[in-house]
Amino acid sequence: MKKNKIRYLIVTLLTIHYSLFTFPFASAQPQVMQIIKKTPSYASCNYHIYPDSITATLTPSPEGKKPFYISHYGRHGSRYISSRSGYDIPYMMMQEADSLDELTPEGQRVLSEMKVIMRNTENRWGELTGYGKRQLQEIGQRMAERFPEVLCPGATVSGVSTVVPRCIESMGACLMQMLQVCPQLKVTMQASQRNQWYMNHQDRTLRRYMTPEAKKAYDAYIAHRLGNTRLMELIFKNPDIVKEVVDEEQFSYYLMKMGLFQLNINYNQSTYLMSLFDTDDLYLMWQIDNALWYIQHGACKLNGGRQPYSQRYLLRQLIADADSCIRLDRPGAQLRFGHETVLLPLVCLIGVNGFDLETDNLDELEEKGWWCSSVFPMGCNLQFIFYRSHPKDPDVLFKVLLNEEEATLPLTPVSGPYYRWTDFRQYCLDKLSKFQ
Amino acid sequence: MNLLSVRVRRILGITFSALAAVSVQAQTEIAKELKADMNRAAGMFYTRTVDKSHKDTPPPAGKKPFYINHYGCPGAYYLDKPEYYTDTYAIFARADSLDKLTPLGKDVFRRIRVLCDDAKDRYGELTEKGAQQSRNHVRNLVERFPEMFTAKGYYSVRSIVENRCILTMQEGLLQLSAMQQPLVARSRVSYQEKPFMNPDDKQLTDRRLDSLTNIRYERFRRLNSDEGRLMGALFNDQNYVITHIDADALSRQLFVLASDIQHTDIAGLVTLYDIFTPQEILRHWRKQNAWHYINYGGCTLNGGYQAYLQRALLRNMMHMGDSVMKRDNPLMHLRYTHASVVLSLVCLMDLDGYGLHTENLDSLEAYGWANYRIAPLGGSIEMIHYRSEKNDPDVLVKVLLNGHEARLPVESDCAPYYHWRDVKRYYLRKLYRYENRRFNSNAKKK
Repeated sequence: MKKNKIRYLIVTLLTIHYSLFTFPFASAQPQVMQIIKKTPSYASCNYHIYPDSITATLTPSPEGKKPFYISHYGRHGSRYISSRSGYDIPYMMMQEADSLDELTPEGQRVLSEMKVIMRNTENRWGELTGYGKRQLQEIGQRMAERFPEVLCPGATVSGVSTVVPRCIESMGACLMQMLQVCPQLKVTMQASQRNQWYMNHQDRTLRRYMTPEAKKAYDAYIAHRLGNTRLMELIFKNPDIVKEVVDEEQFSYYLMKMGLFQLNINYNQSTYLMSLFDTDDLYLMWQIDNALWYIQHGACKLNGGRQPYSQRYLLRQLIADADSCIRLDRPGAQLRFGHETVLLPLVCLIGVNGFDLETDNLDELEEKGWWCSSVFPMGCNLQFIFYRSHPKDPDVLFKVLLNEEEATLPLTPVSGPYYRWTDFRQYCLDKLSKFQ
Repeated sequence: MNLLSVRVRRILGITFSALAAVSVQAQTEIAKELKADMNRAAGMFYTRTVDKSHKDTPPPAGKKPFYINHYGCPGAYYLDKPEYYTDTYAIFARADSLDKLTPLGKDVFRRIRVLCDDAKDRYGELTEKGAQQSRNHVRNLVERFPEMFTAKGYYSVRSIVENRCILTMQEGLLQLSAMQQPLVARSRVSYQEKPFMNPDDKQLTDRRLDSLTNIRYERFRRLNSDEGRLMGALFNDQNYVITHIDADALSRQLFVLASDIQHTDIAGLVTLYDIFTPQEILRHWRKQNAWHYINYGGCTLNGGYQAYLQRALLRNMMHMGDSVMKRDNPLMHLRYTHASVVLSLVCLMDLDGYGLHTENLDSLEAYGWANYRIAPLGGSIEMIHYRSEKNDPDVLVKVLLNGHEARLPVESDCAPYYHWRDVKRYYLRKLYRYENRRFNSNAKKK
């Protein structure tokens, strides 16, 4: 009890310390905070929502060249939470506190909101939402409209999806919309266990990412960021007593997730839970999650920097597919539909937009722009657009679009966002050959 | 008294001779159908040819379709249980290592390896043929009912959470999207649809194989099993067969593999039908057919109510029929679920007399109750509603079963079109009778 009290005090002091020291420099430091203020869903990392419209413009094609092939890997659209356990954690705690008559009137309201959310999500675990379907339709529509040279009448579009229903539905939604733009496309779909080895490769050895060093650094990083005393005071009559049944850190974290998840749903959206949290709370949570995602999938030096290699098979397949498609007169497009836990390490492996950042200092992530929410919101995607002047043109250029905006690679571009395919190919193969 | 009995005897006599005549005819019909296309012996795994051969009877003057309620089976898919492939392979591999295979046995072993390789990591997945079936089906619908598929049409699309059904749905939607712009189609794949699209009913399904039914089926199975010839052709040591091999099970597995080849790209390159005689193929089909009849049809051995598992679906169909009446624009409900669900629905609706109630498993052939006719892969039921104008009090419906106009157990002056009010009354009463009976019998148990 005494220990708990001391911990409580430290957390409180640190929080005060934190707010005192960050606010005066608000404009200088937390750019992410400003984003979260504007778009709260940004704080939820992989539950962040794909933008409703894309404002970025595209650089005109390199001189004399035309797009001729698109290679893509994308995540499914907005979904419901994939299992009830995430909701059960705060819900059970609330139930327990309620049975002890420890809920304030505000706490009662929170509990009843939670019940509504649970009821609306029942039997929809992991299901693509209507919003998610629309995101994918719009992505398909924009792709067909932006690259009519590739997606023209008679062109082949092959869709491959992981065997997860929401991915199959996302593939269907995207391809259906492309057909609305160009009905003469030759579209095929596939969702087979056969392709799982590269479409959704989970590496057993790399799964042990939390090495002792990483854990030490992570624990130190999150220590003063967890917990929410204001929330505890708001919901529970006696936070001290309730602490025996409610783990403050887990409770505030999962309750916030519950609120943030609601933003992925268009109807029956309950925004009440979100009103319990302020930008600071969300920002702290984003920091915690961002660091964890970095350790899990980034080139984090704390665990050897090998995590992005979990997607080595996918990268090799992308290269092999491109190699063979380049030899065709009209290769069309290859679209792949999968998960964020694939796309993030892939982006880190390739080094898109500097996401191959290697560091052992978790505090550096934010200032160096390693913001995972920018990579993998629901519906996120990576598109490789290939250019040449004619089918025999040996000088194939390409550009990468991350979430439909032109991105950089760790190579010297030929011009603007355009890179030489052979350079990139060599760079990737060299990098892959280093992995033991 | 005497007069009456003579009359009764006469009526009975006529009925029997009529039945006998029908049975001879039907028997030959099924045998003929199997002969014409051996793949039909696959039963519910028969890949239906989705073509444009079906003709529509013109609707009564002035009536136009305004609503289609569709329930589709998945298209052709790989067997969902890996054991069919791996167990069979293991049996042959073992026999081969002990040199117990005849030259034909060795050749069959080679072919099984090809099938195993082809199916590896594709268990239960929709094949290209299945995808094509779904697209052809939607194309046929659009071409058959052009007045339905206009820019004003609305498509409400659902699938159960089963990848092959989801993909069948998505393939159909791609076909629609290619044929129609703009398109308003809203699809949904959710466990929330399960209660009516693929329900559980333990009280009902627990009775499927009660001891009486089991004894009768076992007897039927034994009478239709004689695997000696096949085993003799595959293995060179009959003592080994007796001690190491479950001949019935192996023969069945081989037959299932043989009939599954039709779904894949290697159809035409590999076959396993050649190791069976036509009589054996017919017997395998018979056993499977009887099994499906017991589990999903109106078999009286286990009470005759198994098809009522799909009562929520039928009730939903009746409900939707009323609910769409005042719509201005065409509406399509496209729903995709398991073939067994469609099979039970056909039996419950008693389409084309498939609601047949009998305990005599031998008579199924004579009555024409054949699983491949009812719910093959790529099969479907569509109930199509017709009216002359929005406030027409006399809505007509016709039902398509696998593309052809089906007969309903309802009187009609304009068949294959039926008056909606008659159809609705008939089915709702049927459901009510069942639910009432079940309620009373449950009340008694308490």
